[in-house]
Amino acid sequence: MADAKRSKRFEILEKRPVHLDGFIGEWIEVGLYAMGSPQDPKPSIKIEGDKIVEMDGKSRGEFTMIEQFVADYAINVKNAREAMAKSETEIARMLVDINVSREECIKVFTALTPSKIARVMEEMNVVEMMMAMQKMRCRQTPANQAHVTSAKDHPVMLAADAAEATFRGFKEIETTVGVVRYAPFNALALLVGGQVGRRGTLSQDALEEAFELQVGMRGLTSYAETVSVYGTERVFVDGDDTPWSKAFLASAYASRGLKMRFTSGTGSEVQMGAAEGKSMLYLETLCVMVTKGAGVQGLQNGSISCIGVPAAVPSGLRAVTAENLITMCLDLEVASGNDQTFSHSDQRRTARTMPQFLPGTDWIFSGYSSTPNYDNMFAGSNWDISDVDDYLALQRDFKVDGGLRPVKEEDVVAVRNKAARAMQAVFAELGFPPITDEEVEACTYANGSKDIGDRNIPEDLKAAERLMKDAVTGVDVAKALAKRGFRDVAESIILMMRQRVAGDYLQTSAWVGSDGTVYSAVNDPNTYMGPGTGYKMSEERWEEIKAIPWAIRAEDV
Amino acid sequence: MKINPELLEKIVREVLAGMETEIETGGKSEPSLSNSSPSNPPLPASETVAGVQMTEKGPAARGTDPKEIVLAVSPAFATAFKTTIVDIPHSSVLRQVFAGAEEEGIHIRVIRVYHTADVAFMAHHAARISGSGIGIGILSRGTSVIHQRDLNPLSNLELFPQSPVIDLPTFRAIGKNAAKYAKGESPTPVPTNNDPMARPRYQGLAALLHNKEAGFQDRSKASQELSVSFE
Repeated sequence: MADAKRSKRFEILEKRPVHLDGFIGEWIEVGLYAMGSPQDPKPSIKIEGDKIVEMDGKSRGEFTMIEQFVADYAINVKNAREAMAKSETEIARMLVDINVSREECIKVFTALTPSKIARVMEEMNVVEMMMAMQKMRCRQTPANQAHVTSAKDHPVMLAADAAEATFRGFKEIETTVGVVRYAPFNALALLVGGQVGRRGTLSQDALEEAFELQVGMRGLTSYAETVSVYGTERVFVDGDDTPWSKAFLASAYASRGLKMRFTSGTGSEVQMGAAEGKSMLYLETLCVMVTKGAGVQGLQNGSISCIGVPAAVPSGLRAVTAENLITMCLDLEVASGNDQTFSHSDQRRTARTMPQFLPGTDWIFSGYSSTPNYDNMFAGSNWDISDVDDYLALQRDFKVDGGLRPVKEEDVVAVRNKAARAMQAVFAELGFPPITDEEVEACTYANGSKDIGDRNIPEDLKAAERLMKDAVTGVDVAKALAKRGFRDVAESIILMMRQRVAGDYLQTSAWVGSDGTVYSAVNDPNTYMGPGTGYKMSEERWEEIKAIPWAIRAEDV
Repeated sequence: MKINPELLEKIVREVLAGMETEIETGGKSEPSLSNSSPSNPPLPASETVAGVQMTEKGPAARGTDPKEIVLAVSPAFATAFKTTIVDIPHSSVLRQVFAGAEEEGIHIRVIRVYHTADVAFMAHHAARISGSGIGIGILSRGTSVIHQRDLNPLSNLELFPQSPVIDLPTFRAIGKNAAKYAKGESPTPVPTNNDPMARPRYQGLAALLHNKEAGFQDRSKASQELSVSFE
């Protein structure tokens, strides 16, 4: 068969990076459908006494465990009749009306059923969703979270990268592993490096849930995020869990004075083959409500590791924007995704981030890869360290506070070096496999794990196991640092341990300032009600954002 | 590499066809617990895919031989599916895992797991009935885990979560390292391949494949011992 004559233009278009992305058609029956599936239930509510006896077309007897949990704990029955009586359009308009306060919107949203909430989102386009986010996010000042990982799980490199990330402005940092048994060292590296870069950094180790709780209780991490909830019973049960067991785990964190949030996202149920024919956004709405019902302060969503699924179907990235907004509307902290690769196209990558970047969220990324993506053990983030100057330029172009600041090379080299040396001191003091001066030097100047040597992994793994067996705590780490001349870093770690006792950072959407002050939705509440209100960038902060070091200064020409 | 549109279309058609049957027969089974899906045709108990013959021998039992590791595969492995997500034949996957273990003087017992399609739980289940306490789980698309009996199910010894980057040398190394753990050694973990662009290219397809794979689950069916012979 002779090949049909080809258009040169189409041949060029086919070679564009966007053609490497996976795009798939909608498939209603398995739930490969972003929002507003014909198989989603219709909103309804019936209340007897103070109990919901019918929700979204199902009677109480037919509820799944998720629906029962939501009906019993996530809907304010007192306001439900009035709220459900409003039309979806009316509620959507409240969100974009600058004369309607955040509090009024929350009063309505916390009294709606899952299907009703999902349908309100169907009434909105993305610009309206962004307008709503500006008002509905719970903390006024936006912030940002980074991933700090290493393909080699190299403890010195992790400490140096953690220091650089927090020095650049990331207030929370998160790690995970290539080899799971390295996890205790990764936690240690982020604790030490994170405090070197900025005193007050919150750090976490995304791993198996029992382990996460254990390192948190030891003071090696200061928060947790990877407590996953799902929208169908089958996926929940497959993970050996129920909403009640997750709520119990949440209370374990709270009782130890540890910040935590749940994680969910569109696409997870269909990815696991159990969406039961419902749209991704409807199932995600159930997840947000389970979080609310469990009494947890916040949620990481925005599809997260399943982003390739919603991004492959029509209106998928609109649904991802909507799920962040729903989280805000239920008065929860949102760590709004942007944390996983989903596209080869730089245009799509950037566009996907704008709905969170422009209006601002509690945590715009959850997180931004502070390493090259080849070192990102969350399988790559939507933005990595190579994109950081583009990010700084966007903050400056649009006068948007995206949570980062321009930095000087010599300052970054200095904090990386200090973190590497602090890690060397801790390893020496605790009797772990030595960190050589050459490793310190290499990690100070490296871009990624390709620029550094290999450690003796079996020896490191044995030592990491010993760290857990010997019950090393944050206090032991602080003692080791103080003994080896890193008194300031030791004090920072003690400051973080003190937060456990004070408990202030358990408030919604909290981060810790370098003087120990906690900023949250309580003392920094979002007051946006139109132009001239809400977050206002200070002169000082604007000067900082403006000062990208590579801009030509008029006085130098 | 491009996603094979024919394969994709075939999966969509097959699963859709299965669903129509379900609707026609009024198969309104409670989706939460008994999800032995009628959407897939029954699998043969014995199957030959280019170069490997696998026959079910009956329920898988707990082993006592400390020189064995148990490899758990999913129902669709080398039956409904013949290759991984990047078209590596399942027969070659098995050959390499076997070879890796044999180099260390450890033999592999293969079981087919029906009650879950979650690779962590498959591998943990394998470890629990393995004489050495070491198990491996492999999904049809290639996702793999090395597990140990006394770990939490969602923990592991080594995890290979990105199916598109698992090649034959990696499968051989998985067999070899699992065997070393069985002998009580502490091997250097198999180097992690990390391709940050695997998700954009493959996640949609992986979701389709998993929906198909999960359709063969049968929560009430015990794992089956397989005899495996290479030709």
